[in-house]
Amino acid sequence: MHAVEETPRLSTFLSQIANGLVLGSLIALIALGYTMVYGIITLINFAHGEIFMVGAYGGLATLTYILPTAIATTWYFALPIALVAGALVAMLIAVAMERFAYRPLRNAPRLAPLITALGVSVALQEAMRVFYPGATAALPFPNLFVEGAVVIPIGDGVVIRYVGILLVVMSLVLAFGLERFIERTRLGRAMRATSQDRDVARLMGIDPDRVIVLTFAIGGALAGVAGVLYGSYLNNINIDMGFQNGIFAFTAAVLGGIGNIRGAVVGGLMIGLVKALAGQYMPGGTAYDYVWIFVVLIAVLVFRPQGFFGESERVRA
Amino acid sequence: MAFLSVRDLVVAYGAIQAVRGVTFDVEQGQIVSLIGSNGAGKTTTLRTLSGLLRPVSGTIEFDGTPIQKMPAHEILSRGMAHSPEGRRLFARMSVEENLRLGAYTRKDEAGIAQDMQRVYDLFPVLGERRTNKAGLFSGGEQQMLAIGRALMSRPKLLMLDEPSMGLSPIMTQRIFDTVRELRDEGTTVLLVEQNALAALALSDKAYVIDLGRTTLSGTGAELLADPRVQEAYLGENVGT
Amino acid sequence: MTATATPRTPATPAAMPRHTGRFAGLLDVAAPRSTVLMIVGGVLTLVGAYLPWATFVLNEGPYPEKATLNFFVAPFGVTGFRLHLVILGLAAIVVAALRRIPARHRIVRGLGIGVTVVALINGLWITVEGGGLGAITASEGSIAFGSIVALVGGLVTVLGASAGGLERKPVWTWKLPWWVEWVLLVVLFVIVLLLVAAVLTSGGQGGVVNPYAGVVFLSLLAALGGAFAALNASGLLTWVSVVSERHRTFSVIVLLIVALLLPLTSAGTEYWMTVASNIGVYAATAIGLNIVVGLAGLLDLGYVAFLGIGAFVAANLSGAAASQIGIHLPFVLVMIISSVVAGMFGAIVGSPTLRVRGDYLAIVTLAFGEIFVRSAQNNIGGLTGGANAIPNIPAVGVGDFKFSDSIMIGSLRLPSGVLYYFLIVLLVAGVMLVFAHLKYSRLGRAWIAIREDEDAARAMGIRTGPIKILAFLIGAMLAGLAGAFFAHKTAVVAYDSFRFLESVTLLAAVILGGMGTIPGAVLGASILFVLPEKLREFSDYRLLLFGLALVLIMRFRPQGIVPDRHRKAELTDPDVEDVAKEGPGPLPTRVEP
Repeated sequence: MHAVEETPRLSTFLSQIANGLVLGSLIALIALGYTMVYGIITLINFAHGEIFMVGAYGGLATLTYILPTAIATTWYFALPIALVAGALVAMLIAVAMERFAYRPLRNAPRLAPLITALGVSVALQEAMRVFYPGATAALPFPNLFVEGAVVIPIGDGVVIRYVGILLVVMSLVLAFGLERFIERTRLGRAMRATSQDRDVARLMGIDPDRVIVLTFAIGGALAGVAGVLYGSYLNNINIDMGFQNGIFAFTAAVLGGIGNIRGAVVGGLMIGLVKALAGQYMPGGTAYDYVWIFVVLIAVLVFRPQGFFGESERVRA
Repeated sequence: MAFLSVRDLVVAYGAIQAVRGVTFDVEQGQIVSLIGSNGAGKTTTLRTLSGLLRPVSGTIEFDGTPIQKMPAHEILSRGMAHSPEGRRLFARMSVEENLRLGAYTRKDEAGIAQDMQRVYDLFPVLGERRTNKAGLFSGGEQQMLAIGRALMSRPKLLMLDEPSMGLSPIMTQRIFDTVRELRDEGTTVLLVEQNALAALALSDKAYVIDLGRTTLSGTGAELLADPRVQEAYLGENVGT
Repeated sequence: MTATATPRTPATPAAMPRHTGRFAGLLDVAAPRSTVLMIVGGVLTLVGAYLPWATFVLNEGPYPEKATLNFFVAPFGVTGFRLHLVILGLAAIVVAALRRIPARHRIVRGLGIGVTVVALINGLWITVEGGGLGAITASEGSIAFGSIVALVGGLVTVLGASAGGLERKPVWTWKLPWWVEWVLLVVLFVIVLLLVAAVLTSGGQGGVVNPYAGVVFLSLLAALGGAFAALNASGLLTWVSVVSERHRTFSVIVLLIVALLLPLTSAGTEYWMTVASNIGVYAATAIGLNIVVGLAGLLDLGYVAFLGIGAFVAANLSGAAASQIGIHLPFVLVMIISSVVAGMFGAIVGSPTLRVRGDYLAIVTLAFGEIFVRSAQNNIGGLTGGANAIPNIPAVGVGDFKFSDSIMIGSLRLPSGVLYYFLIVLLVAGVMLVFAHLKYSRLGRAWIAIREDEDAARAMGIRTGPIKILAFLIGAMLAGLAGAFFAHKTAVVAYDSFRFLESVTLLAAVILGGMGTIPGAVLGASILFVLPEKLREFSDYRLLLFGLALVLIMRFRPQGIVPDRHRKAELTDPDVEDVAKEGPGPLPTRVEP
């Protein structure tokens, strides 16, 4: 064995791990919304991926049309403003979606809201394509963070961009904050109560409609943040990004045990790693990385539908 | 005007009427029970009182206000608490969290802490295991927690649905003693029970519900002595 | 005691109906004058139809370059939507005036809704395309408020009809001599054929050639919808369906013949034959999906993959230059192979149903669908052509004779594509036959039992596992069959015809039409594949409207257009849950004694 040959291999491997973790923490952020909504109303909110997409466009619109150029190009102004804007837009859409599409179906059989979710998903995607200027093609998205990268000197060098690190850190911080919120606060307790037994939650004086709106709002805001970070990291966004990443995120949520916050994060990271490593090492390369994620999804649903962290009593499948 | 007054209540599940004319009054400071056989409409009545179901017709007045159209959380904040049939605790939460949820509508931290202590005094076993998950408790302990949880909203009227269900006679006695204690402290209690003997012995007033209608009423002692009640509801309960 | 229970006196026949809901007050005021209102509405509709409307003279392009805004002032030259309004208005007046007609309020309401929608569509079109409200009100001295008057007429009609109280749909039990009923059925089916041809061709082809086709089409659809609602309210439609049920075999044969006669109507051009064939492909596929979703209750979100598998198999066995397998098999054999291969994949996709249920199963099928699309896009094994597709698939033919040719019958020349149309009609008929047989067989009952309650079905001794896989297998085989046809008809098979959105569209077709029913699937497929063809000028908004439509259907008519009579349904509100609704919603409907 020659070290000369081994180190480039190692650096490729580590680079893919880094890529996987960045993508994975993005997916985790989206997966939180899936897992929360499913936990409370056992709905696979198909349109959640589109909320992520809308959040990205909301951030871009703020940068492009609202902020003066001087501010939009200064990262320490632009980044927080765009994140908040993306989160707000996504939150608004998510709340409106709950109010007008899902709430009327609260007591309907389960197929109805699922199909509604498909409809909302198509409608949101198309609304964006039709009404956002230039959205028929991919739009460039500026990097909102410091340019540059950390280079770990192994082999050809493992390059990790700062914005990637930002993405990972923000995802973990937000997920941690969310878990604290759900475990420690009065509203968080109300959310857990509603998810365990909605009728009894009502007897405790909890208004389930408000809790459900809150759930959609939080999930939406996180997806909006994810959307802006995605744009910032990949430097372009398109209207298809929601569907694909939404499915990844759903897979992550199931993988981690749906209804479980930590599970969603771990599931997201695992999905990110699968995609990055499969694209590098599996036959077919990046053209088939997407396929491997679906293979994982099917395998998990068939063999361990409660996920790796799920409590088996939760499983509805 | 009675404290709680229910008139001609009709409640339906789709086309099926489960309650078809229930009328009764609850006076402040009393224990009033609704007795009747399985499927008579007692639980449906209670679920309607607490706002989980909507009546088709009829009125419910509590403390002078019609509440039949109010959502559950408003009814609770007006002072009616409902401990549901089968206890329905939040099994994956601790005792303390269950009690905190009982006090969900309240914001006075000091008062909540005080009431929590009161529940622990009432049921010491809960105080000893306050961080344990509710799902791990025995039936009687769960019933204690369910009552404690309902008390945490400081209700003026406490509604208990089948508190004796699945409990041993000793435990049932224990629970009913607590109910009497609560009444003596000033809480009005509306009790739904299949265990008619125990319920009537405890009650200041009672109503018999049969096939969705209130058919008989009287003081607990009167109904205990009523041959119709004895035949229909006490026969199989004597000796349990 | 202030409030007591509302008195629930039994309504005497003379008593005015009590209204609830948002417009209760208005309806109560209108109630004593309902007949007058209905007649006034009808008259207003007539007046509106004869008043001048601003409309476009279609030369050869869109307004304002190629078309001119024109005011019809000629009093009696009514055609098109104005003719429809006249008919609907007259019908409303007549029905309103004849008090002996049962359910007349309900009938008139249907007519009124039709008038309202027709007036709205045309009025909106004129305002949006013709330069704002100015186009409606006045130009060059003429005052063109026809659309406003007709709209008011429609609304007044609906108000009067609703205020009068909606009666229950009457049930007719007439029984005529069998030959009279046969003749009646033949006449009715021919009328249906002519209507279908009229709807299909109304407004002509969409697109650049005729940018207003969509509006003409929608307006006709609204008028027909109003008439249909009225007929349905009169109970006549139910009676006709009872009659056709009585002569089941006869009806089926006549219907088949009538379908084969479509090329003789105004729709007998190459273009419409192609449109009709495409509808046929999706209708056949939708019926296959209906087995999986409608009968067995298994939600499949990747179903279009089976159509794709069938199409790619057929393409590879067609002798097309781009195919990997250089053999050219006879079409019948190709169809069988495509179907079998698709069926095998169906069984594979269906196998997780052994362990996975409900919406998790939906996700598994979606995942399989995505794997198929991705693999096809990457030209897996060189079998799909990837982004280049598989082009130039030869037409089905016997010797020198090609199915794509036009044919002569005597002196009658049928357009090219007509043979494909015949073929797909027969294919759809065959698929329908399979579906109908399955639905009423032991297998069908087992599927329905699984749909209603899987655990109970298992407890009754149904071996649910193999039976669920069988649903996938049979559904996939039917789709594979349609795929083989599709490959030869369109001559090109590309992966992007089989994306997720197509699966959703097929699912929407099944749900829109009515789950578990044959006419439902065909109707749903027709609507969803005719609309985009017709509404080219709205093509930008097509998918947006599609998504919103899905949401609205689930909200307001989850059982679809043709609900399954025997179906307790996953999609209709379970009764018991009704009372449990919280919040300031309306009270549950009062049960009158």
